[in-house]
Amino acid sequence: MSAEFNTQGMLDIYLFENGQLLERLQEIVLEQKDDDCFDDDSINEIFRAMHTIKGSSGVMMFDEITRISHKLEDVFFYLRESKPDNVPHLELVEHVLQVVDFISSEMIKIQEGGQPDGDASDYVTALDQFLDKIKNGKGEKGKEIKENVHVEPEQFYIAPMATSASHFYKIYLTFHPDVQLANVHAYKTVYALKEMAEDLLHYPEDIISDESTAEEILENGFKILLQAQCSEQDLRGVIQEGYELKKVDIYECTAKEFQQGFDSIGSEIRIDLESSVEEIESKTDGGGMMFIAPDVSVEAPKEAEKKAIAPGDFVIESKEPGKGKKLVKDKPKKMEKAALISVDVHKMDMLMDLIGELVIAESVVLQNQDLKVPGLRLDNFNKAAGQMTKISTDLQNVIMSMRMMPLTNTFQKMNRIVFDVSRKLGKEIEFEMVGEHTEVDKNIIEHISDPMMHLVRNSVDHGIEMPDERAAAGKTEKGKVTLSAKTESGKVWITVQDNGKGLNRQKILAKARKQGLLDPYKMDNDYTDKEVYQFITLPGFSTNEKVTEYSGRGVGMDVVVSNLQSIGGSLEIESTPGKGSQMIMKIPLTLAIIDGIVMEVGKSSFVIETGVVKEFIGMRSDMMQSDPDGSEFVMIRGECYPVLRIGEWYQLNDYKSDLDNGMLVLIEVEKKMICLFVDRLVGKQEIVVKPIPDYIKKVKGLSGCTQLGDGSIALILDAAGLIE
Amino acid sequence: MSEFETQTQLDKYVTFKSGNEYFGLKIEYVNEIIVYQEITEIPESEDYIKGLINLRGKIIPVIDVRIRFKQEPIEYNDRTCIIVINVKDTVVGLIVEKIAEVVEIKQDDILPPPSATIGHEEKTQNKYVYGIGKVGENVKLLLDPDRLLKDEELNLLDQATEENEEEGE
Repeated sequence: MSAEFNTQGMLDIYLFENGQLLERLQEIVLEQKDDDCFDDDSINEIFRAMHTIKGSSGVMMFDEITRISHKLEDVFFYLRESKPDNVPHLELVEHVLQVVDFISSEMIKIQEGGQPDGDASDYVTALDQFLDKIKNGKGEKGKEIKENVHVEPEQFYIAPMATSASHFYKIYLTFHPDVQLANVHAYKTVYALKEMAEDLLHYPEDIISDESTAEEILENGFKILLQAQCSEQDLRGVIQEGYELKKVDIYECTAKEFQQGFDSIGSEIRIDLESSVEEIESKTDGGGMMFIAPDVSVEAPKEAEKKAIAPGDFVIESKEPGKGKKLVKDKPKKMEKAALISVDVHKMDMLMDLIGELVIAESVVLQNQDLKVPGLRLDNFNKAAGQMTKISTDLQNVIMSMRMMPLTNTFQKMNRIVFDVSRKLGKEIEFEMVGEHTEVDKNIIEHISDPMMHLVRNSVDHGIEMPDERAAAGKTEKGKVTLSAKTESGKVWITVQDNGKGLNRQKILAKARKQGLLDPYKMDNDYTDKEVYQFITLPGFSTNEKVTEYSGRGVGMDVVVSNLQSIGGSLEIESTPGKGSQMIMKIPLTLAIIDGIVMEVGKSSFVIETGVVKEFIGMRSDMMQSDPDGSEFVMIRGECYPVLRIGEWYQLNDYKSDLDNGMLVLIEVEKKMICLFVDRLVGKQEIVVKPIPDYIKKVKGLSGCTQLGDGSIALILDAAGLIE
Repeated sequence: MSEFETQTQLDKYVTFKSGNEYFGLKIEYVNEIIVYQEITEIPESEDYIKGLINLRGKIIPVIDVRIRFKQEPIEYNDRTCIIVINVKDTVVGLIVEKIAEVVEIKQDDILPPPSATIGHEEKTQNKYVYGIGKVGENVKLLLDPDRLLKDEELNLLDQATEENEEEGE
């Protein structure tokens, strides 16, 4: 007995699946939070999600999670079965979200290697009260519902309280071979028996969702194990031979036989009688496949009768700790969508690295010095090389698209934040999402989730006014926050827009003045709006007089900006007093492969992102001007741009500046222009970005390094850093 | 038998020459030894960090051990080697004048380093030397790779961040 049986793998799957379920759950809830009630599909889905979580948590023995999900499941079971029309919807939404939060926080604990030690009692009590409330409102007795704790009663009914008066039956149903949808007929029978059953199992078990069982039922019959207090006569009354049913065989058996009587080779399911329904279900998810083995039918009715055993029937054992669970454990559950597989991110990264190296190796081959012998005929080589380049480009595109993920999930989380914060603050806010299907590299999504959260919170907390203020200002009482995403010029623009009061220029300036951020010789009016708004991105800068739960401590905006900068993004702030403000995050689509211009300075190579380059200008020494304090600039078509000599800036050892033979590269970042002075341009190339090893401390103006076609290393210039 | 082998593996050192002394590095830290190859300079870094090399697609920093030990730098020639070491997942190349050999030094033959009063040069080396291994008539200075890479570096980094913070305010 190995209790440690591969628990880490189990845990990973548990966390992954439940994480997805919770996300989905939250999505559903938030989608319908403004409706009057959940629609049937959502109720079913929430119900199923909770059920799955309950089941898997039970297996993993996370008792509190099991308890709370069980409780929520009860509530939704009631909603599903009784369809009450008096449910306070918002309250329900809050309950669901609370449960989601609780489970999420517990899962984080588990993920970090801790124990899920949170106490769910408060939530459970609250849910109990809630359930009572909606039940009593309807005036219906809740007893039956409460007993029906398991989720899919149409499949199983287990109440493991065998009394001595119970009888045990094996029932074999044979259908007419020409019956359509035999599985549905079988289900009708099961449903009828359920009324009187104390314990009921049947095979094939997946008759509702798996239509292929219909054929199996026709071929091998439908088998039911039943524990009930009724007589055989009663059973016959329920199951009658008729148009569809050719033959009904009912055998009474002993409890012992019932519990362990069936056995067969390799295709039984062991069920721990005292364990829960979910275990059986989770078991069958994985195990169901086995029963369709072709040799099942060979075992024929005769043998089944003799041994009173049929392949695929259940073996029910009395409690033997660990055993049942262990069996359940090693069956990974099937994925929700068969078309998707989940892959370890590290493997993806590895693949990405390898493809990066392939691209480099390819250019090493294609640009090989050996090929540059004059007069060499390379027609066939070039043809083959062209084909290879095409494939490797395709390969690159595919891996890139694999890493791209829609922003939908991240946006959904924001929806949740707006909901929570606005309710707490007593503001009414409409949240709109635009372009949430925009796809962004996975790495980038991880980096922008936090900044986005800050911005959304700020909008809700600071931007949108209280309803009475809004009314006084002649606006609709309901505020509006719009989160939108779009792709523009190789970047993703994510905009958080609100129609609140906008930024207060005077207040910001006053605060900046107080903190000594302003030039004392400059008038307030000398600062442009943009400059003023940039102040709020400085550390420790908050104009909010009172600190709220969500914002106002002055941390936040600076974190937003530094997070964005770390991935090469930027933040733009626009605001109109009284009309609202708009925060635009501009983020590169991907970090991994960029299009770059390769330049040489002395013996070193540098690369700069193609997107920021405006133009190249041949250099003549008479173009260069310098002002008295030594800074240089050039005049190009009447415009004046500062010049940065890369070689001098980095004090390259072997650098000789030769003004007449150099090139100027004009780059632009956020409307600021600067000229880089380099010796030579080499060409345009796809660049696989690699980080500069941690061991070397960060150098200003460098964002990474890469390998060029000849195997040498080039440093990637970070345009924003250079302009600074 | 296998225990014996592990034991010998433990006591093996890669030795190399730098200046007049021979230094030893525990073999477990050494990934591989490669011949000198073109180095890409990194601007604005310490003088002993020579730059980056491309090790089969992995880009790793290299440091010059001579400069690290405050010895006069010399021209690289075809005997110059790069020892690629892996210390706590930091992969770094060490440029050394000449690789000597792999020797076995028993734990009993390792003495603590002399106290730092002898001279200035010794003093700078002492930071990186954790023991002196006797091999026959010769001695090898055994290096602590962790200190070789970090030590000063960390202090510098701390200082740098402090300065930055001051500037920020």
